Amino acid sequence: MTQKIAIIAGHDGKKITTATWELFAFAQKLADSSNSGSDNTDICFYLIGENTREGAEEISFRSGCPVIAADVPGTRNYQGPIFKKTLLKLFSKNTFNYIIAPHNTSGMDYAPAISLGLGGTCMTAVEDVKEKEGSLLFLRSMYGGKIQARMEIDAPLAILTLAPGAFKPVQPEKNSTADVSHIIIDTPQAKMTYIGSLPSPSQGSNLAKAEVIVAGGRGIEEEENYQFIEQLADIFPRAATGASRPICDYGWVKYSQQVGATGTIVAPKLYIACGISGSTQHLEGIRDSRFIIAINSDPDAPILQVADVCIIEDLTEFIPIVVEAYKNRKRPAN
Amino acid sequence: MKILVCIKQVLESGTDIKIDESGKWVHYSDSSRFEINPYDNYAIEEAILIKEKFEDAHIDVITVGPDRTADVLRRALGMGADEAIHIIDKTDGYRPPAVTASWISAYAKDKKYDLILTGIMSEDEMNAQTGPMIAQIMDLPCATATIRQNISEDKKSITIEREIEGGERDQFDITLPCVLTIQTGINSPRYPALSKVLRAKKKTFDIIQSETLDMPVHTPKLNDIILPIKEAQGLFIEGNIENKADQLLKILASRSLL
Repeated sequence: MTQKIAIIAGHDGKKITTATWELFAFAQKLADSSNSGSDNTDICFYLIGENTREGAEEISFRSGCPVIAADVPGTRNYQGPIFKKTLLKLFSKNTFNYIIAPHNTSGMDYAPAISLGLGGTCMTAVEDVKEKEGSLLFLRSMYGGKIQARMEIDAPLAILTLAPGAFKPVQPEKNSTADVSHIIIDTPQAKMTYIGSLPSPSQGSNLAKAEVIVAGGRGIEEEENYQFIEQLADIFPRAATGASRPICDYGWVKYSQQVGATGTIVAPKLYIACGISGSTQHLEGIRDSRFIIAINSDPDAPILQVADVCIIEDLTEFIPIVVEAYKNRKRPAN
Repeated sequence: MKILVCIKQVLESGTDIKIDESGKWVHYSDSSRFEINPYDNYAIEEAILIKEKFEDAHIDVITVGPDRTADVLRRALGMGADEAIHIIDKTDGYRPPAVTASWISAYAKDKKYDLILTGIMSEDEMNAQTGPMIAQIMDLPCATATIRQNISEDKKSITIEREIEGGERDQFDITLPCVLTIQTGINSPRYPALSKVLRAKKKTFDIIQSETLDMPVHTPKLNDIILPIKEAQGLFIEGNIENKADQLLKILASRSLL
């Protein structure tokens, strides 16, 4: 029996998304882990959008896997109803064991819905798959990363969304040609129509280009404690101050300073996370930082898993001591 | 304007999470403290803001869970919801979102709600599936991560903004009824008012036993839960607090970051 995996690929208008190649890495691991029960695994890509031709050719050429490119008018921006209808149409006749999609704001929107529409089951933000006594266990985080659940699938079809960054994107260079099929799907007007887009409140913020960022999170506990973040930033020649989402939601800090998947994606030389536990959406935004320092009073905070240097202290006590020590160090040098 | 807000009870944030003896679920003890899923506060608040604008609006809140979860219904009534529905599920462990969604849909299907709201996800299981699944089962349009909404004067449609990557927003016109999952930051949730809390204490809820409701055919199965394997590669700075500060400055200087 051949097992079949479909990857929902993405194209951002210029290139194939990194998430697509993370999904390919996950699909390969899924194929390797589950081959005991089946003879082989077919992986194929689905690319949905407007003008999908070039993107589809690239995926096929690099991966050596077949690609189904569906040109669907009105999908330059993600539109839930159109996307869901298209996916249901595409998959109702093709039987797959797994349909895998990125865990982004689109995948989170359509995956649960189409799993029901296709009579399958759904698992979101999957981080890994492991074989145990003949069955596959899928790992996903709960409680902000403090617990991991190992899930089993008991359905002919599973729709999985893959947590961003859980797999290293593969860079396939097969340089082969696999089938690329093109179809045009026009979906009728839905009860939900796209009317436009608005820029992010963080557009034009100095965070994206900053070389040093000092950011605060819920651990500052009170609005006025954000001054400690500013004090620490002041010891650097040029540092920007940032924040995790919750303290923006509280209205303590402007959204323009929000770092994370729904704020600014940053890539500084140095990122100092103060009182930030490290939600997946925050970690996604700081992944490309070159050096991460975490100051946190909670020794179990997930941020400590990605930080290069970890300091378990209350930031309101620790930061003033660092600032004082910095001033004392400078004095003799002058 | 009839609104249904779907809410959930979770362990209080900051609770030290332990695994129970079966290895299959989180350990709850007599001293465990529970609270409303923080994300759901934004959904309740948004419903109340709609009610303040449209005087004929009526807000129902619904939850699924064991007896103790009635507390979140009382809290929602204290904030300003009108009526509460409790689907009592005595099994106090993992319940797949497809089950929750199918039970809520079974209740809501003939109630003619104009709007069904949920939080963007639950803080404990973080699935973000219940809202979109309710929409699919009830064949309603759905917007996830809603960060702004405005109902038209004739109450037939709603304009929403949903948050996408990088904080950008896509705007949609949706014909009511619909399902919205509410993103944090859309409003500032109020605290329950004492007068309403006292009134809520006397209120009877609409009670449904989960045994009377059908189970969906396919749901994921929970094998077990584990503590994440710590793979931290980073350097943990040890010593007293002054010492740690000195070491940190040394590290920064050695990397020419100061």
